[in-house]
Parts: sequence; C-alpha cells; structure tokens
Amino acid sequence: MEIIVPIRQVPDVALNIRVNEGKVVEDGVSFVISSWDETAIEGALQMTEELGGEVTLLGIGPERVSEALRKGLAMGAHKAIHVLYEEGQTDSFGYAKIMAKVMEGRNYDLILTGKQAQDTDAGLTASMLAEFLDLPQVTNIIRFSDLAVDGMTLYRKGDHGTEVIGIKLPAVVTVNDSLNEPRLASMRGIMMAKKKPMETLSPSDLGMGAEELGLQGSMTEVLKFEKPESRKEGERFEGEETETVPMAIQKLVSEAKLAV
Amino acid sequence: MPKVLVVAETKNGELKKPTLELLSLAKSMNLQAESVLIGKEVSSQADLLAGYGSGKVYVADDAGLEIYNTSKYTTLVADAVGQSGATQVWLTSSETGRDLTPRVAARMGVGALSDVTELEIDGDNITATRPCMATKLVQQCRFTKDGLRVISIRAGAYEAEEASPETADTVSLSIPEGDARVEVRDIQVEESNEIELNEASIVVSVGRGTGGTEGCDFVKPLAGEMGAAFGASRAVCDAGWMPHKHQVGQTGTVVSPDFYFAFGISGAIQHLAGMSGSKVIVAINKDAEAPIFKVADYGIVGDLFKAVPVFQEEVAKIKN
Repeated sequence: MEIIVPIRQVPDVALNIRVNEGKVVEDGVSFVISSWDETAIEGALQMTEELGGEVTLLGIGPERVSEALRKGLAMGAHKAIHVLYEEGQTDSFGYAKIMAKVMEGRNYDLILTGKQAQDTDAGLTASMLAEFLDLPQVTNIIRFSDLAVDGMTLYRKGDHGTEVIGIKLPAVVTVNDSLNEPRLASMRGIMMAKKKPMETLSPSDLGMGAEELGLQGSMTEVLKFEKPESRKEGERFEGEETETVPMAIQKLVSEAKLAV
Repeated sequence: MPKVLVVAETKNGELKKPTLELLSLAKSMNLQAESVLIGKEVSSQADLLAGYGSGKVYVADDAGLEIYNTSKYTTLVADAVGQSGATQVWLTSSETGRDLTPRVAARMGVGALSDVTELEIDGDNITATRPCMATKLVQQCRFTKDGLRVISIRAGAYEAEEASPETADTVSLSIPEGDARVEVRDIQVEESNEIELNEASIVVSVGRGTGGTEGCDFVKPLAGEMGAAFGASRAVCDAGWMPHKHQVGQTGTVVSPDFYFAFGISGAIQHLAGMSGSKVIVAINKDAEAPIFKVADYGIVGDLFKAVPVFQEEVAKIKN
C-alpha cells in the first residue's frame, strides 16, 4: 500500500507564542510536526507494516520544513517530498491546490493526514484536496479495520456516535489523535533518516506560476494575530473537602450566579 | 444584497441549538436567510426554521440521509446554494460542519473560514475572528476574492433567540445517489437522554484523577443532579473509561458553557483549548501544581472522591 502523508510544521503550541504588530514572532520559536500529523504518520506506518508498501511524507514550506520531514523519516517513513515554498501567507485553498499538483502522476492508494493543523486549527486543507482530486474523504477517524490494498473500514467520530464507513481506495482520510500514540524515533531511525530519499521541488517544478501562489493563490487572508486576554487564576480553596466545597459553592452561587 | 444559506442540523428529528444560533445571528444582522434541511424524518422542522426567519427551506428528507454522508450532503448543499442564489453559506463547527465546510467550499471553487467566533459583515465584505494555535492566539481573517463565502461558526459563539414555528415555504431537493466508493454502513450510538456537550450551560468533566470507569461513574450522577452535560478528558476516553462522545478538547467537543467543573483533570493543552472559553471554570484536583488551576476561577485542592458527595449535598440544598 502506497500512502502519502502531508505533514505541517508548526510552532510548538505548548510553549509561549508571542505576537508583535499583529504577526507571530518566529524568533526563538521551536517548530514541530503538527501533533495530528504525527498520529497520521503512525497510522500510515502501522498500515504499511501490515500490508507492505511505503509511506511518503509531503511537506510544503521554507527550508526548516526539511527538519520536520527528517523527523518523520526517523519515525520510519520511507521517503519525503519537500516543496520548497517561500511565498509567505497562503490559505488552506492555496495549499490544497499545491498538494493536488504534487499528487498529479504519482502512484498512491491513500492520502492520510491530521484532521487539522495545530497552528491554524482550520481543518480545511485535506477535504479541499479530496475535492480537487475527486476522491472520497473520511475525516476524524479514531480506528480502522479490514485493511486491504483496495479498501478498509473506517470509524469516524461523528456528532451522534461513531460512524462506520467502508471506503474504496484511493481516498483522503484524516485522523483524530485518539487513533494511536505516535512512536518516538529510535537512535537507529534517526541515523537511517539521514540516508532516506528527500525530493525537493519548487513551485515552478510543479508548473505553478505566481498567480497560483501566496496570497494571489489564496481565497482568504489573515489580517492580524492577537493574543486573547488570558484567563487569570482565581481563588484557591485548600483544606478539608467538607469545608472547602461548601465555601466554593457558596461563592459560585453568590458571585458567579450558579443556578442548578 | 447578501443572502445567507444556513445548513441546518438535527438530532433525533429536532433542530440543534447551534443551527438556531446561526439563524438568530442572521436576523440580528438584518440579513436575508434561507436554510437547507437534510436528514431522515426532518421535514417537520421546516416550520421552526421559518419561525427563525428562514425565507425558504430546501428540504432533503430521505431514509438514506439518516447518517451523515459527505458526498450526499455536499451535493445537496451545492444544489440549495444554486437554487437560492445565496452569497454566503453558514455552517456550524460540529463534526458534520467540519467535514462539510471545506468540501462545499472546494466544490464551489472558493475558500472558507472555519470555527469563527466573531463575524462582522458589511455587504459581502466579511471580517471573521477565529481562535488558532490551540486558542493561544486569535486571528482576524477576511475573504480576498469575489464569490460565495463559506463560513463555519462555533457553537455558543452567538445566542439563540426564542421563536415559534411559522408555515414554511419549502422546496424539495432531489436525493443524490452518493459516491459509490463510500459506504456509510452504520452508526454506533450509545442511547441516552444526556444533554449535548456543546448545548449545555453547565458541564461536569472527569479526568485521569478518577482512576477508572468506577471513578467516572462516581462523578456522573452529580452531572445529572446539576442538569449538566457530562464530559471527559482525552486520557479518560483513550483509556476506554468513558465513550469518546464525552471527550472535551480540541480533539473532542469544544465547549463554552457558563460553568465548567473539572474533576481530576490536570489540564493538557488541547483540553484547555477546548474549554477555556467557559465563562466560569471550577477545578477540583489533588495536585496543587496541576495546570488546570492556572485557568480556574475557583480551584479546590482536594480529593474528588471526598469532594463529590459534598457537592451532591450542597446541590441538593440549593435545589430545595
């Protein structure tokens, strides 16, 4: 089974993110693979371990994206495609168009990726890609079964329960992080990753002109980022539960107007 | 003149609150609104949509639409957009909305803005504010090209007004075949009368501190007694202590109730991102260093197994 896993390199949101004049400050930011995409890599590795075939990572962005791709290769992915892309702000629509170009003429059974990227939290690109490629999509899966080269059963976390969906490949599938616990790269994996093939492409290699790139190729733009007013820690209650709980509840009712 | 098409969502044949929030928002902005109603045995809801200001209601009522299906729903929404001449499509940021929003946008050849919490509209010029980076930041966005605007709006971002049903002007949509490559077989539902997480004004949630299914079940009656929805952290759901439908967080349901009670939840970043929009947060945790206390308005350092019975007594007192 041939699987392409588009991954996104994002600022580590566990750390402090700073904003200056409406822009995210990149200086001193630590970049990581978006956590849902790590889940997708793990899922793809498990599928190829069962059925054979290769996992190809796809990353779009500046030079630093190659580090994220190497990290995915160290986890066990077989090869990577880096679209060296420095056109700045591009929206989900624009990225999906680039990905669709990358997929042209390539052999794949499955495109597997995270349900959203941890920087934009938009969750748009994969489904747009599926539409551009005229492929079926299943998003937000928490499990798969009946794995075969031409199809599988997917379990999607829907609004009213777990939807059980049989799908014929090729398809675009996005993962919820409940799907698995991504493996850590081993020392041997890290060594081997250095020798694994990484194909670097430019937008012009893909036949894309300026009008399809950056803001010109996008349908939306970010005007500015802001730091929301952060929550402040309120009051603490320490001691015996028989005293602290009634005290807290009394305040909830009198100050915060709790009604049950 | 902008015209909004609202993609209505139902559960057990009844309109969901986030849909009513969208129609109420359209009304408060004096926008012309229509809606598309898709599902099985949902036609009866058209009148309530009309009551909420939906000029026309495009209805697709079919047994084959009982479970969400990307291909069929996309075709139906695109059909309704074409017939209505809408300039904007609004969806909720439910799992259905998350799946459908980008597919509809791409089908129409346009972009989308998802999970919006604040919308400003001047004709078809739209400025949308949405959280990003696990809610550490918000971004203000706009559409840059002409054409249809496809937007999903976060549940609870706007209030739903009260309205009564009126006779609807309905248009029946033809039911599409759907994509033969996809077979939506079944939905595994845990039957319950529980309150939906994203519709509740109080949420009681449990974390790893409960220690297991028994611990979760120990807290659960309190949710019922408070008229609250019952939530859980990812750790609890992944361990199988509670079904995934209870999961609160970026991976589960994003909630913004008036009151959020966290029992034994330490506060992983994706959990915090999924509940930090709550008006009041109450945390109960043994570990005084737990990150949840940093966002809690009321933090009780203590043992949840001792705290829950006291909560139950106090809640009973308030009720009487």
